[in-house]
Amino acid sequence: MLPDRKSRTFIEPQVVARLAGVPLVSRRPMQGNVSGRHVSPHRGASVEFAEYRKYVPGDDLRRLDWRAYGRSDRYYIKEFEADTNLRCCLVLDASGSMGFGSHGLTKLQYARQIAATMAYLAVQQGDAAGLTCVAEGITQQLPPKRNAAHLSNLFDMLERTEAAGPTRLTAILHELAETVRQRALVVIVSDFFLPSEELRSCFEHLRFRRHDVAAIQLLDPSELDFQFQRPMRFLDMEGGPAIFADPALISQRYHSASTAHLDALRGVVMETGVDYQQVNIAQPHEEILMRFLVGRLRNRGRR
Amino acid sequence: MSFLQPWMLVALPIAALPIIIHLINERRYQTLPWAAMMFLLAANQMSRGYARLRQWLILGLRVVAIAALLFVISRPLAGGWMGAATGDRAETTLILLDRSPSMQQMGVETAMSKLETGQRQLRDTLRTLGGGRVVLIDSGHVRPQELDSVDALADMPEAGPADNTADIPAMLQEATDYLDANEIGRADIWLVSDLRASDWQPESGRWAALRETLLPRAQTTRFRLLAYPEVQTENRAITVTGIKYERADRQKRILLSLEISGGSVDEPDRMIPVQVEIEGSRIEVPVHSSGGRAVLRDYPLPLDNAVDSGWGRVSLPADANPADNVAFFAFEPPVPRVTVLFCEDDAVRLPLRLAAEIPAEPSIQHRVLQTQRGLLQTVPWEEVGLLLWQGVMPTAGDLEAVEAFLAAGGQAMFFPSRSSDTGQLQAMRFGNWQSNATDQGVSQWRGDQGLLAGTLAGGSLPVGELRIKRFTTLQGTATTLARLSGEMSLLVRHHPAGDHAGTVYFWATTPHPDDSSLGTDGIVLYVAIQRALAAGAAALQSTADQVAGSRLAERWSPIVIGDQRPHSEPGYHAGVFQDGEHLLTIRRAPAEDQLQIVADDQLLGLFRGLDFTRIDDRAGNYASLIHEVWRLFLILMILAMLGEAWLCLPQPRSPTAGGRS
Repeated sequence: MLPDRKSRTFIEPQVVARLAGVPLVSRRPMQGNVSGRHVSPHRGASVEFAEYRKYVPGDDLRRLDWRAYGRSDRYYIKEFEADTNLRCCLVLDASGSMGFGSHGLTKLQYARQIAATMAYLAVQQGDAAGLTCVAEGITQQLPPKRNAAHLSNLFDMLERTEAAGPTRLTAILHELAETVRQRALVVIVSDFFLPSEELRSCFEHLRFRRHDVAAIQLLDPSELDFQFQRPMRFLDMEGGPAIFADPALISQRYHSASTAHLDALRGVVMETGVDYQQVNIAQPHEEILMRFLVGRLRNRGRR
Repeated sequence: MSFLQPWMLVALPIAALPIIIHLINERRYQTLPWAAMMFLLAANQMSRGYARLRQWLILGLRVVAIAALLFVISRPLAGGWMGAATGDRAETTLILLDRSPSMQQMGVETAMSKLETGQRQLRDTLRTLGGGRVVLIDSGHVRPQELDSVDALADMPEAGPADNTADIPAMLQEATDYLDANEIGRADIWLVSDLRASDWQPESGRWAALRETLLPRAQTTRFRLLAYPEVQTENRAITVTGIKYERADRQKRILLSLEISGGSVDEPDRMIPVQVEIEGSRIEVPVHSSGGRAVLRDYPLPLDNAVDSGWGRVSLPADANPADNVAFFAFEPPVPRVTVLFCEDDAVRLPLRLAAEIPAEPSIQHRVLQTQRGLLQTVPWEEVGLLLWQGVMPTAGDLEAVEAFLAAGGQAMFFPSRSSDTGQLQAMRFGNWQSNATDQGVSQWRGDQGLLAGTLAGGSLPVGELRIKRFTTLQGTATTLARLSGEMSLLVRHHPAGDHAGTVYFWATTPHPDDSSLGTDGIVLYVAIQRALAAGAAALQSTADQVAGSRLAERWSPIVIGDQRPHSEPGYHAGVFQDGEHLLTIRRAPAEDQLQIVADDQLLGLFRGLDFTRIDDRAGNYASLIHEVWRLFLILMILAMLGEAWLCLPQPRSPTAGGRS
């Protein structure tokens, strides 16, 4: 199927095959440029009746409902729902913190698996997929397209992406909210170690631009457990100052801080209607994606 | 705080082990690249007071637990007076026990005396400290006595109360002699005393010699003074100062003189009821007390006509010290004072006869038996109190009679022959006569005791007014009682060998008007002769008294002894003893009625340079001087471990934390 048979470590054909049965749907009407399987805000030529409206001069006479005219002696245009494709914009946090992984798999590697699989699923069902890698700025960007060659480019870009530098995810999200055309599916894969209020602003901005926003937060098990036996010197992977601490002393406060942050983030995503997934990267990404897809299927957009 | 095994405290730095381990752990940190720095920063910014406190508490409790364990092993003692060197256990512990009457003083609101308290404290302390041999030197016998254990103190009469005054320097000397004789290395000397100056005699020259003996042992001998310096002001002591027998109008009576001391100078005048018991009859005599002192002089007490001699006692109401509330006395008709007079010179004979014949007290009969050389063996010496001899020294049979008389306790006074004399008595002899152009006066004399002592009223005899024209030298070993201005002796005293021997006095001149003013200014001569005669007559009486402090012969059986006193130590307890028709009264040592305490500085000076510790206690104190308190530290250790365990318990995790997707 793929023109380039180059082996990619971050995408597993078996996983893709198992996930292919579940479509990637949007939760709100999309505004694609071709016909597709997603709800469009416009009327189109699908088989699904939408509504009658009065005839105005200039309307296509072929869409006049003569039977209605026969019953009511009035001209009505019969309108149908339009189906369109979606543009899936994958936003990948490539800051230094995404390079952390305590079980052999870094968060960035996990994010690659998710992004690649999701892009593949989107292109496979005729949608467009694009990728934006974000660190201190936009390090790499690929606009959404729906052909197979584009997918190969996207995979290449994923392969080249390295975790480095500080993150300016919030600023980039604001930028993307303005630059990405309206009504796209924006999937943000990040650890979201950012102030929740800044994220709220970003999400609200994206919602305002009528994007369907999904946030996948990747967390390492050790970041959740924070169980160390001896004093540690923690080096900031994003270049900040190092911190010397005795985990036995601060673990309780660490857990308090992490819980507070995650609770705040959960509140933000609920209030802004973001499709939020908190992911422990020790879990298989297939399971995460399956839950993600099925969850969206339940909340798919209505005409 | 002291320890029985203080060397274990050397391991005390081990208590710092938790801190050292903590510091090492801190240095053994790992470096880890970390993503969730925002959580760490937030955790660091949160209040860390409790966490830090908890950490230090845990460390502190660990240190306390180890330190407490080390303290338990070191066997701590409550009572910090013993010093850190308690662990150097002594080979021998010598107990120097002051048993004097002042140690019978009770504490406030307790029936326990200083002596009983001291004994109990010693028993408890030495039982706790353990150790080797225990030796008792009591103030009565002043001789070392090994004990099976310190508990034996409770039952020993030698550790009980006595009525003689203590001689602390002598006891210390005895202790030193014992240590030297037994070649004892490390020793503890425990002194139990109430610090009465009369017992310690801090001004005595013996202390200097004693310190010289003790200083070389400063490294090996420790002195512990268990002191009871508290003086009860509410205590009175009674003393019989005189007893006279009178017969007037066929009525016999005795005249009792006594003194009550010990009251406060500020107290108001009051009557003190004194119980007087004579031969079983008891009467109460009120004695007026003024300024804390009461004196009764010649108080007449009628006697039954059938009674010629006997004993009695006077007692005060109970007060702080029962030991000085009783005094004993014995009485009998006075013995006629008979003087044997031999004079070569007629001019000398008269003043001597008059001085011996004129009674000082009208009730006492005085007689003078004049004798001649060679007839002394015919004299009834058993009735004679004094021999006055002026002339060439006795020889042959006369000398034997005189020697026998002196050995039986008689008194003799010798004046030189006005001619030359080569004879001698008791290795004493007269030398050649000397005369000066001008009369010589008396430059020095013993006014505190002896024949020339001051009067009862406190005045001194007019010895200095004597004028000596001629005098002989006195050759031999004797104590000078009066000295001429030319350093020649005027009057000397010589004690012949023998336990009951009397006293011989030698004058260097005669009462002849050409020799001295002894006869013309007869006061000094009269008083000297009367005093010697009284002493001689006393040896003839069947009643006698002596101060407690020397063991009585077996023949003396007790008639009455003070309360709670054992009969096993005759001579050390006040009472009345009998030997046939003779009565002997043992009196409490008069020095015990003096309340002076050795000053602190003075006491420290006595032990300067020695390992000396003073522990002040009080009578009736039931709290032990020391007791082991390792249990307290064991409990402390357990509490510290429990506290540490509780603080180390893992904190309950928040249910929202942890892996969640």
